[in-house]
Amino acid sequence: MFDLPTVTKADQKAATRFRNFLLDEGFEMSQFSVYMRFCAGAPQVEARIGRIRSNLPKRGKVQILTFTDRQYQTMVCFDTRTKQEPAAKYEQFKLF
Amino acid sequence: MEVAEDGRHLSLDRGFMVVSEKGRELGRVPLDDMAVLIATAHGLTYSNNLLLALLERDCSVILCGRNFTPAAILWPLDGHHIQAQRMRAQADITDAFKRRLWQAIARAKVRNQGAILQALGHSAGAFEELARKMRTGDPENIEAQAARRYWPLLFGPDFRRDAEEPGINGLLNYGYAVLRGGTARATAAAGLHPSLGLKHSNRSNPMCLVDDLLEPFRPMVDIAVHRMVSDGLLEVDRETKRILAGLLVQDLRTDAGVTPLSTCLFRLATSLAQVLSGERQVLDLPLSPLPLEIIRGPSAKEGAHVTQRVSAHVDDGDV
Repeated sequence: MFDLPTVTKADQKAATRFRNFLLDEGFEMSQFSVYMRFCAGAPQVEARIGRIRSNLPKRGKVQILTFTDRQYQTMVCFDTRTKQEPAAKYEQFKLF
Repeated sequence: MEVAEDGRHLSLDRGFMVVSEKGRELGRVPLDDMAVLIATAHGLTYSNNLLLALLERDCSVILCGRNFTPAAILWPLDGHHIQAQRMRAQADITDAFKRRLWQAIARAKVRNQGAILQALGHSAGAFEELARKMRTGDPENIEAQAARRYWPLLFGPDFRRDAEEPGINGLLNYGYAVLRGGTARATAAAGLHPSLGLKHSNRSNPMCLVDDLLEPFRPMVDIAVHRMVSDGLLEVDRETKRILAGLLVQDLRTDAGVTPLSTCLFRLATSLAQVLSGERQVLDLPLSPLPLEIIRGPSAKEGAHVTQRVSAHVDDGDV
């Protein structure tokens, strides 16, 4: 989750750069300013956090929350007052 | 990661591979999460940017021909920062050294075959005996002697290992293709040249070294196929592919604790590079699996090893 200033041109640029960095790292947008990514195990989480730390914008707040895929699956979601299906299950093989 | 449906287009968007059909996005996968991309469908299109991005991340791309046999593997030219030095060491290796390295690899394979037969209730003492008897370079071709005993015990006396046949052989082909992709990736990442093999030296095979290094891991594919066949799964379909692709994240025992098979491949390839440059003495091979691990298989811990999430934006019917 992040809260970045976007008043000046320079701040806007920094915010876009940070957002693009997250996308390049494979983060998906969950909501505005909320991005998430699946990690296989604690070492991967550590590595991701390290990379985020070295790519932080100069100003603004960034918060990183870690939870398990089980907790993710039990998330309750509403969209325009309608309850949504629970989040999709993790799978290590994808077939298109 | 496999693309098996015709008419798909694969492209790059920031850190993702996007799969689309007629301009409609079906799903996206983070590039860093992909170890191997297997293309089995024929009516596929790719963007060049995507292929380059995958190669940058040492992800191997396998193009499959008929019956799931790999026809080509895309190979990153720049796999490791001291690649040139390592390849030179690899090219300069003496025949005696090659034979010694091959002995270690083939022994590990025969031992793993024995471990599997034993877990299935066969008497496999002969395999330990064969492994011990194997001399450097395996001049008596003990590897083949072991195979002659191994296949009939594993799949019955009528079974023939023939890459062109469907059924069990098709499943084995697919499993070996996954394994080969994982090994190719590890070999590239270790900065070794795939064509300069130890035992395999067929001049028309560009992946001799990969085929050397994957040998000890073949029995893991074999037992997975055996398990599927006993469950009545004989077709290469969605379900069996899912199981076989999961082999790369299956846990194996090593001297340094339990690690996924794909990590074991990296460690074996890296240790080979280090042995070649004189930094270490022995190859880093996994320990033989224990009977319980073999019988239960990775499915007993299903859900514990997951590396990818099915994107929330994907309609499940299309995935």
